[in-house]
Amino acid sequence: MSLLELKNVSKIYGELKALDNVNIHVDQGEWVAIMGPSGSGKSTMMNIIGCMDKPTKGEVLLDGVDISKESSKHLTDIRRDKIGLVFQQFHMVNYLTAVENVMVSQYYHSLPDEKEALEALGRVGLRERARHLPSQLSGGEQQRVCVARALINHPELILADEPTGNLDEANENIVLDLFAQLHKEGTTLIVVTHDPEVAEAAQRTIVLEHGRVAREVINENFGK
Amino acid sequence: MTRRRMFLRMITASLLRRRSRMLIALLSIGIGATILAGLVTIYYDVPRQMGAQLRSYGANMILLPEGEEKLDTERLEQALAQIPAEELVGATPYRYVRLDMTSRQQSFTSAGTDFEQVQKTSPYFSVEGRYPESTREVLVGKEIAETIGVRVGSTMELTYQPAAAFASGSAAEDRVPGATLSGSAEGWSGGVVYVTAALDGDARIAQITIDASTQTEEYGGRADEDEAFAAQFIGKSLPLTLGTDVDALSGATVTSAAVVEALNTARAEAAPVQPRTLNFNVVGILVTGGEEEGYVFMSTEDLVSLTGENKLDVAELSVLANADQLEAYAAAITGAEIGVTPRLVKRVTRSEASVLEKLTALVFLVTAVVLLLTMICVSTTMMAVVSERRREIGLRKALGASDNSIRAEFLGEGMFLGALGGVMGAVLGFVFAQVVSVNVFGSSITFQPLLLPITVIVSMIIAALSCLLPIKRAVAIDPALVLKGE
Ligand SMILES: Nc1ncnc2c1ncn2[C@@H]1O[C@H](COP(=O)(O)OP(=O)(O)O)[C@@H](O)[C@H]1O
Ligand SMILES: [Mg+2]
Repeated sequence: MSLLELKNVSKIYGELKALDNVNIHVDQGEWVAIMGPSGSGKSTMMNIIGCMDKPTKGEVLLDGVDISKESSKHLTDIRRDKIGLVFQQFHMVNYLTAVENVMVSQYYHSLPDEKEALEALGRVGLRERARHLPSQLSGGEQQRVCVARALINHPELILADEPTGNLDEANENIVLDLFAQLHKEGTTLIVVTHDPEVAEAAQRTIVLEHGRVAREVINENFGK
Repeated sequence: MTRRRMFLRMITASLLRRRSRMLIALLSIGIGATILAGLVTIYYDVPRQMGAQLRSYGANMILLPEGEEKLDTERLEQALAQIPAEELVGATPYRYVRLDMTSRQQSFTSAGTDFEQVQKTSPYFSVEGRYPESTREVLVGKEIAETIGVRVGSTMELTYQPAAAFASGSAAEDRVPGATLSGSAEGWSGGVVYVTAALDGDARIAQITIDASTQTEEYGGRADEDEAFAAQFIGKSLPLTLGTDVDALSGATVTSAAVVEALNTARAEAAPVQPRTLNFNVVGILVTGGEEEGYVFMSTEDLVSLTGENKLDVAELSVLANADQLEAYAAAITGAEIGVTPRLVKRVTRSEASVLEKLTALVFLVTAVVLLLTMICVSTTMMAVVSERRREIGLRKALGASDNSIRAEFLGEGMFLGALGGVMGAVLGFVFAQVVSVNVFGSSITFQPLLLPITVIVSMIIAALSCLLPIKRAVAIDPALVLKGE
């Protein structure tokens, strides 16, 4: 069953077509990697899927709802309810502790629950560092907090834009293991990456070039 | 955990863990609130302070007798009862009389007064030596002191010549003012009728007592009981004519004639009132630069001893009130119908009012400017805070924060700062006002408990208003742009 469908989506900045007539569909529970050179439109696409931007043309169906026509207020609601975001820069609120950062996500979604937030941090192996401020955490640890924050509200879809771009090998593996777990639990994952190794962890890879889908590759080795 | 607790936790974390920036915002609010609280305190205190200060320019109300009859202590008291005691700084009675200094063949106007009150209503009087503290002590105006050559420590013999002495000296009317006359005349069948009459300062009968016990009970004997008969004499000048000035008691013409005759004889035989002389010690020389330097001041008691009558010409009042209140008190005194006419010293009340008006307008203006500057300062700081926290705001929005959440968070932080700055300002502002008050007015002020909530609320409002524009900026932040992975 399809969770996400992009139909003839274009995003045009003046002369530049950041996305050019893109057609994509992602099934519920699928784990998809998006690859492509810098400037090929990956982030633009993620912003549109993540309800932070609207396409110039085309339809974006998320759970059967066309989000390309929604008001920005409604988009905020959809994003809050359905989507978990992980960014390349580990964006954290720098004056809040790790657990508080996770709780911020709960706060906007429903109710802050410290116990649950601590459990989520436990999942990413940071139970002991819950009371630390971002400045006291390494980059890898910060990104793991961001993953915990993305999954805390049990979103249907997790969007990760180059989540391992700034991570060392060890942390990259931890994050990929977490994605694998989430995938097993049925969460749909869309992960933008430069790294072929990260792409190989996914079931399918969509390659963008100059704002177009250049090709799609099914990962034969998935799960092995 | 409730959403509200998380809200407060985020706000306090933002304020506590990002100290340096927030300290600037807090400082600007705090300073604004300090000046605000200080000025408000002074604003409320200035009229009181200035009122008391301005009272040193002298009396602002004068009480005069209504009509011919002089004032007396009783009517003065009744008039003063119309003014709240705590607002009455002082009330000084004056009685002016000419006294002779026989040894120098000089005469000058003397004032009988209450020196304790003088110091309250005329604080600008300057005395070389001291004010009289007991009887037989006088304060001599500088001009007189120089003319007759008296100094502190000199003695003066002052004489009161009853009105007769100043006039031709022979007219009987001039000899009798203030006297008590007693006389008798033969009435019905040889019985003697006795009459006593007290005369006022104008030689008119003020009181009359008739003893007609020798007369026939049902006829002339009624003369000493019949009030209507006695009442006819009051206010009349002697001599009297029966049938013209007073009517006879019916059925007792002879007795009535005896009463009139007794009075007329007593008046004709009345000795002139003797001049009275008292010796005074000069204890002070009065320097005012005004006409007061041409007077000799003594206690009311001494003047009564000299003149034999306890009357007042005028009373000067110093009242701690603004022009409107003074008008109201004056109206109350007039309304009490006690024969006292109040007059406001317009020169004093008007300049007081205008000084206060200008001062309050100034304080008001300064307050408004300070509030505006505070708002600009806080707004600028919050603007900087917003641009500094662009990424955080974008992140919050990406995490699902609605525009209202963002608004609430910034408003919350702003108002928290406002409250904190307000408390700070109320305390420091009071200290500031106290310093100003002590240095400028030379008196301390009491803490107004209401100052705290007022300052806190105003600071919070100012902070909230200052946040409006920064919040607009914050809400406009586009999470997609801010979070772009570059
Ligand atoms: N807000 C924007 N205004 C103008 N051009 C933009 C904007 N956002 C992205 N672009 C352009 O669109 C293209 C795709 O950008 P992006 O999606 O960020 O690429 P990627 O994430 O694949 O590196 C780039 O050429 C970029 O310069
Ligand atoms: Mg990108």
